[in-house]
Amino acid sequence: MPIFRLLASLLFVFGALASAQAKLNVVATLPDFGSLAREIGGDKVDVTVMAKPTEDPHFVDARPSFVVSMRSADVLIDGGAELELGWLPPLLQNARNPKIEIGKPGRVQASQGIRLMNVPTNVTRAAGDVHALGNPHFMSDPIIAKAVAQHIAQALSAVDPANAAFYEANYKRFEATINAKLQEWGAALLPFKGQNVVAYHDSWPYFAHRFGLNIDIFLEPKPGIPPSPSHLVEVIAQMKAQKIKTIIVEPFHDRKIAEKVASATGAKVVDFSQFPGGLPGTDNYVKLIDTLVSRLAAALK
Amino acid sequence: MWEVMFWPIVACVLLPWLLVYLGLHVVRRGIIFIDIAMAQMASLGICLAVLFHLDLQSWTTFGIALGFTLVGGAIFSVTGKRASQIPQEAVIGISYVVAAAAAVLLLSRAAEGDEQIKQMLVGNILLVTPLEVWKCFALFVSVGLLHFALRRNFLLVSFDRDAAYAKGLRVRWWDFLFYAAFGLVVTSFVRIAGVLLVFSYLIAPAVCGINLADRIGNRLLIGWIIALIGGVAGLFLSFWWDLPSGAAIVCTFGAILIIISIYSLWRPRAKL
Repeated sequence: MPIFRLLASLLFVFGALASAQAKLNVVATLPDFGSLAREIGGDKVDVTVMAKPTEDPHFVDARPSFVVSMRSADVLIDGGAELELGWLPPLLQNARNPKIEIGKPGRVQASQGIRLMNVPTNVTRAAGDVHALGNPHFMSDPIIAKAVAQHIAQALSAVDPANAAFYEANYKRFEATINAKLQEWGAALLPFKGQNVVAYHDSWPYFAHRFGLNIDIFLEPKPGIPPSPSHLVEVIAQMKAQKIKTIIVEPFHDRKIAEKVASATGAKVVDFSQFPGGLPGTDNYVKLIDTLVSRLAAALK
Repeated sequence: MWEVMFWPIVACVLLPWLLVYLGLHVVRRGIIFIDIAMAQMASLGICLAVLFHLDLQSWTTFGIALGFTLVGGAIFSVTGKRASQIPQEAVIGISYVVAAAAAVLLLSRAAEGDEQIKQMLVGNILLVTPLEVWKCFALFVSVGLLHFALRRNFLLVSFDRDAAYAKGLRVRWWDFLFYAAFGLVVTSFVRIAGVLLVFSYLIAPAVCGINLADRIGNRLLIGWIIALIGGVAGLFLSFWWDLPSGAAIVCTFGAILIIISIYSLWRPRAKL
């Protein structure tokens, strides 16, 4: 058994060495960045995603392979907006890989150049926002995803100039797909413009903004703080007054609380996910938004 | 593998000896969950620092956390009466849940998310830095020296309380000194290795030692060997199968404990 293991790991090492010459090692902190990296990098890159799509992106348990892949990474894609604040810095410190330091071409901070929403004006953060740079859940807006994809294409081209044309072409294709899909998604959600939706956590301002919805009421009284009874009573009253019929939750949220509120208000609980793979049949970014749009349209009908 | 696992292995070799020794005291005193209660006290202190918007890495924050740990030590030494209807473990359990619940309440007012606090309080053995290991080692050496210098009285107070009272020791003060040093050790180890690991390093090797030996020296030796084997083996397993490292070490200890228990069932009289 140990010999078998040793052989297997040797094979793995040789395999990694052989492919390292041909392919770029791209590491993404979260599955949405990983999906874009696959779109742009195609078969020229090996993409490793650290967080699982069903895992809370604020809290991710580090495993040895995270450090291994970060050490051999040519490109690291992270959000850059403090979403991974709790777990990425110690990993980076441990990996000590100069290629993926901030400012190097091998480091993509996805939020760079993106105008984040809900930036707290209060520097002390007493207002209750975890993220001083603004809301970090920006990938649910497909137009922002296009910008991030372009950013990734530029980084891949800088690190691997030989394939720059390939990355650029893939980006153009992704851009065209999103542009076409935006028409479709917009049309599907157009009848519900201005409608209110309740979410468990404040992860959807960009999605709401893009598709003309209001997602401003949350089961959490403050981001990251578990729902308190008085807050839930308030939410239920608001939902009744505004006739809100939909609550969206993500896989790592406490669905029971959402169900309780739903049964008190006659609303429906809809499973949502920020990450490709977090819902069945959503193995890439476009399919994820497809699913979110159709689920929401069905629930709001 | 070495570049990733080197410092975790160093940490698992250099640090657990003191925990195993303290574990013998803790098991003997029957206060198994004291480490978790003390770690929770420290984190309550840090939540308070968050409420006042203090810098989490500052000395003030450290001082507050230490202060709360000392309060915990004071509570446990005052409630550890010579003869009481209420077991010490009940007080420890209550302290734990109250401290944990109070932290939730404070955070709901402080309104900063708990990622940073979690990161600060609960470390991951996989990601230890050399500086953290050396700082922790220095602290452990000083507490170890304190325990060595005063070993006669510390051992008496833990292992033979009646004799300690008979000898006229001020048992409560000795208890307080023990808990204060213990709180310092536990809190700093939790910060680099997490709660699960500190608990298993305290209890599992000590229980194995007690299973196999009668004399404290032998128990300690067995505990050290088991801590060393369990920690390093756990790290290897964590690497081979890509598992979270702390949990892998804890389960390795569980497996070792089961094997040793079966062995000592078969040979109940072969104690060292």
